[in-house]
Amino acid sequence: MERLRLIGIAAALPLIGACGVTARLEPYKQTNAVISAGEHVVVLARKQHSTHEAEEDFVQCISDGLADGKHGLQVHSSKDFEDKMYPWFEPSTAPLSTEDLTVLLARPGVAEQVRETGVRYVVWVDGSTDRVASGGGITCAAGVGGAGCMGLAWWEDDSRYDLTVWDVKDSENEGTIYADYKGRSVMPAIVIPIPLITRPQNHACKGLTDQLRQFLTTPEGYSSPATQAAG
Amino acid sequence: MSLLPLDRSRLRFLAVATAVCLAGCGGSQVIVESTFPKPLVEALPVSMGVVIPDELYNFIYTEDIPDQSLWTIALGDANVAMLAPLFEGMFRQTTDIDSLAVAATDSSLDGVIEPKLEKFEFDVPQGERDKFVEVWLQYQITVYEPSGATIIEWPVSGYGKSELARDAEDAVQRAAIVAMREAGATIATKFSEQPQIKEWLGGIGHDAAPVTVGPQAAAGGNPSAESATAPLE
Repeated sequence: MERLRLIGIAAALPLIGACGVTARLEPYKQTNAVISAGEHVVVLARKQHSTHEAEEDFVQCISDGLADGKHGLQVHSSKDFEDKMYPWFEPSTAPLSTEDLTVLLARPGVAEQVRETGVRYVVWVDGSTDRVASGGGITCAAGVGGAGCMGLAWWEDDSRYDLTVWDVKDSENEGTIYADYKGRSVMPAIVIPIPLITRPQNHACKGLTDQLRQFLTTPEGYSSPATQAAG
Repeated sequence: MSLLPLDRSRLRFLAVATAVCLAGCGGSQVIVESTFPKPLVEALPVSMGVVIPDELYNFIYTEDIPDQSLWTIALGDANVAMLAPLFEGMFRQTTDIDSLAVAATDSSLDGVIEPKLEKFEFDVPQGERDKFVEVWLQYQITVYEPSGATIIEWPVSGYGKSELARDAEDAVQRAAIVAMREAGATIATKFSEQPQIKEWLGGIGHDAAPVTVGPQAAAGGNPSAESATAPLE
């Protein structure tokens, strides 16, 4: 009995070890500007690519994360901002550079509307979470005596995002934060499937939110954190 | 001939089979509903009559996709919801009129604008690799003199995509809303750039300042179809 328990633990450990998230964060801040009291930040998804787009849930996750907690920032609703600034932040009309932003703010009524929203910083989120690999398989069967599954399935998700922070008051690019979170999930099936799921997108949201908060509230520049394993 | 007795198990089987058939025959229905904002553009100093044809109010698109189901997409209410605030923001004054003939008797109008939804296409991904639902639509914007003479017939396209996260109907609705907003953005930002419109504005003594837009949006030259992207393949 003791032997069986040890075998079970020995078999489970590599499976649990196979799961996990590796993270890489590279912030780069070009100025010493920080967000002041009364100033808002808005998080928007870059939508001009045909092949990918930052997920709505992910953008909302970052917005909610920034606003949460004791040191929460004032975050303007993304949809509300796009509606108030319509048609200038649609996929085909949104400014792609701070030069475009300068031209946009020169249009009648636009700068005033931005001031009215209270938004000082626009955070553009570019990237997506994709399944990059998968394999294995699980077979389930049922018979007169019972039913069960046997096998092993695994998959790997990669969450890669680029955040660009603009100061709309000065039409300046404040800097970028690059994040790459990879996670492998495993589902062994011994009679019943046992899901050991990692969610790199959730880790990416938390990691980017923490970095972004630090970016917007810390005047000093950053040094790139080492590649770290988390989860 | 005697019929087989309908015991409980057979009745249960018939009920399940009927439900499955009805679910398969029902198809996918989407009613596109949203509120649309007024555009942040400088209103042209003209008074426009707006004709919304019945086909636009009642626009329903149906398509039977092989290996999927019959799709029915109702856009009528959303069309009006998008175009009404759009025109209110684009022109100093708008008046809803029933037909072009009414405009001839109204001396306060500088022109008449009539939108039509000419084309609609959508695509729902089948495989795992492609994860976006796409919608492409094309409006025909016709502007008339109050006398009925055509000033411009301007095709305007809009493209929208939405991640197929939850259910396909929800994704089609969201993609359609993005496509409509895109078409509205093109109409609002490029209307006064059309040469025929510039000429018309000059002719009625209301020169509009050229609308400069960002590098993404190409300047309007000929009234060729303005679009964010080509129709879906």
